[in-house]
Amino acid sequence: MRGHTTALGNLLRDRTQWVIYLIGASIVAIAYAAIAIPAWHRAATLGDPREITGYSMLGIMLFLAAFNLRKRIPMLPLIRTRWWTFAHICGGILALAVFWLHIERIWPNGTYEQCLAALFYLTSLSGLFGLLVQRLQPSRLTQTGLEVIFERIPNEIARLRNEAETLAVECTRKTRHATLARYFVESLQWYFGAPRFVASYIRGSQTAKFWLEQRFATVRRYLNDDEQQYLLQLEALAEEKSAIDAHYAGQLLLRSWLLVHVPCVAAVLALALWHAILVHIYAV
Amino acid sequence: MARPQRWDAPFDPDMTEADLGMLMKRPEFSAIDASRFPSSMPLDGILRNDCRIVQCKPGDIVIREGDYGNSAFLTMKGALRVVIKPGLPSEVLGRSEIRKRGLLGALSQLWRNSKHPEARDTTTRRTTEQDSRQHVSLFDSKDWQKIFANPPSSVTAGLEEVPALREQFQTALLRAGAIFGEIAALSRVPRTATIYSQSHATLLEIRWQGLNAIRKYDEGWRRIVDEGYRKNQLKVQLKEHPMLRELDETTLQRVADRTLFESFGSFEWNREYKQSRGRSAGGLDEPIIAREGDYTDGLLLISAGFARVSMQLGNGRRTLTYLRTGDHFGLDELYSSWTGRQKLPLQTSLSAIGYVNVLRVPANVLNELVFPTLKEPAQPLAELAKRPLTQDALLEWAVDERFINGTRAMLIDMDRCVRCDDCVRACASTHGGNPRFVRHGKTHGNAMVANACMHCVDPVCMIGCPTGAIHRTVAGPVVINDETCIGCGTCANSCPYDNIRLVEISDRSGRPLLDPDSQTPILKATKCDLCYTQLGGPACVRACPHDALRRVDFREDALLAARIAR
Repeated sequence: MRGHTTALGNLLRDRTQWVIYLIGASIVAIAYAAIAIPAWHRAATLGDPREITGYSMLGIMLFLAAFNLRKRIPMLPLIRTRWWTFAHICGGILALAVFWLHIERIWPNGTYEQCLAALFYLTSLSGLFGLLVQRLQPSRLTQTGLEVIFERIPNEIARLRNEAETLAVECTRKTRHATLARYFVESLQWYFGAPRFVASYIRGSQTAKFWLEQRFATVRRYLNDDEQQYLLQLEALAEEKSAIDAHYAGQLLLRSWLLVHVPCVAAVLALALWHAILVHIYAV
Repeated sequence: MARPQRWDAPFDPDMTEADLGMLMKRPEFSAIDASRFPSSMPLDGILRNDCRIVQCKPGDIVIREGDYGNSAFLTMKGALRVVIKPGLPSEVLGRSEIRKRGLLGALSQLWRNSKHPEARDTTTRRTTEQDSRQHVSLFDSKDWQKIFANPPSSVTAGLEEVPALREQFQTALLRAGAIFGEIAALSRVPRTATIYSQSHATLLEIRWQGLNAIRKYDEGWRRIVDEGYRKNQLKVQLKEHPMLRELDETTLQRVADRTLFESFGSFEWNREYKQSRGRSAGGLDEPIIAREGDYTDGLLLISAGFARVSMQLGNGRRTLTYLRTGDHFGLDELYSSWTGRQKLPLQTSLSAIGYVNVLRVPANVLNELVFPTLKEPAQPLAELAKRPLTQDALLEWAVDERFINGTRAMLIDMDRCVRCDDCVRACASTHGGNPRFVRHGKTHGNAMVANACMHCVDPVCMIGCPTGAIHRTVAGPVVINDETCIGCGTCANSCPYDNIRLVEISDRSGRPLLDPDSQTPILKATKCDLCYTQLGGPACVRACPHDALRRVDFREDALLAARIAR
């Protein structure tokens, strides 16, 4: 529970940033309203006001997608990416509001529009999920007390596995007892084989800690004093592995939401452009 | 195994008995009373082990303005020329010229960056022969003719005398018997001028340890070195101090005449620190400059390096702050005694972090010449002890890890960092596809100082670079000229923070570049250059989407650093 509480605490500690996001989004919304409402009135007397919201929507979506482009050209002295992130979040919130204005309900009619809406909602939800994950996970990772680069995790796990295996073998050789080595093969080898308890770490639960405590408690009673020393060393390695697993889970989550968000953005943009073309074709 | 001794590795392993005999007969050394030297450090031992004879051809650059060096020179034969002002163009000194990219140039990196790691354009590379030369010559640069008034059409091996430089360069001749480079060697300050060989010359290069010993045991050499220092440096340093800035020339000269120069700690602190990194004793193993509870006899001005101000707390020492060039210590106690209020002993201790040069201005000089016109000091150093201990944690860590040496340390708030590596990608995009730092490093709570060059105040990496490829630009960043780097690894070995990497280079098609003789890969030293040629500053900072990454000076940006490591 501690992980949850601290992460939530961190989320609340960043409330200034949330307030800034809200104020930013409000300013953008007011500015948008100041421009769009008179245009809306003019359009309402002359034709369809949804043209205003539709093109606004398209413009906002193109601006949001431009964030990815900005990241690919870091060599240009464009505005700092932190401000792009800020604008991206505010723009995302605004897009949701304009979308509802545009369709004048939560869920539109027509299969094509429903597909477009479903993708838009998925994009928005994945974005909000990403925002939340980015606020919660970093402090959890920091609290593991260890830093590891995601791409190096397999190497780190392999190193720990080798060290653990060497310890088990050395324990047998030095103490002339195979209890710890046998137990290692039966139970702990699985743990050192790959990242484990990924879902548990994502949830923030203590499953891995509990599992390890149980495993070490089970074997401790069968070990003599010399073997206990090796067990202590194994426990330290398991603890380090646990921190690496937490990093694997956290960093995987921090990366994987983009696998939903980015393709959805591409799909929404394509469908929205085609939607705009169709509207014009049938308006003629 | 026998315990390693100071002179196990002589500076010049090829020095012969005949060379030593010749040196001992020279007037500069024959006048020295050798009996004053201790048996553990005899004069002939110093000459044999701490000196080397260097032969220079006309045009060889002996020292470069802005370089850091750890040896002084004695001209034994021939003539040298010192360029007083303006300095020679950076490309002549073997440095890269700062050319900021234009908008199109910046954008062109998108398609110009090679897809192969560490690829270099071999069509513009220097030849291997040029790369392996230890001395950069005035004639090595492409545009060498520009600096001469009447440049020869070509440089032949038979050149006996370097032609005169253009009129704009003010120069002076150094003849046999001249000693130079001693201030930079002893004070750890950059060389102030460039000196090149005017004709064929023979020099004696004396490493700082030997120079320090000769200065210590021989009055004549001490006078020469100290006079040189007092004449060229001391007054400038005193004048820069805010407390002494208002003094008139005569008074300042009187202060300078009575100021003492002292050094503490190890000159090569980086080597010792590298070996003991991560096993900090919290300053307990540092040489004490002034001890808490003692009465001080003078004001200490830090003229180079860093010093820790600490106070006894329980069973340990609490770091209150650190001092660096331009700071002072002991003022509060001396001022209090002068006003007659209370004769105070030192409230805090001062110890050397690495290597420190200190100017000691005696108390009676202050009482007579400085205090009468000085405003009361604002906040005594000991007042810092009133803040909560938790506020000290970051400072203690930064001092122990020597991050205080950095002017642009990469500090990452790991509570904000989403580990997206956009900073690394941005760095790679702006450096030919190769990142120049590793997003990994020492952590303290949620603060991480990543393995990126910190562009140190005391850039020990620059000491000993044989070609001057690593240098500090006018704007501040320490950069490496890829063209003149010979991949010797001196800088990478010297960097105490492991922030310089040696990489194997390849051509644009990805084929490894090999030395034709040894068939071993050609290496280049690489590191963060603070994007000094890019528009808009460091790409890593601009690319961070969560404002987690900053480049900080732990002193200048103390509040920011504290906010990050909250």
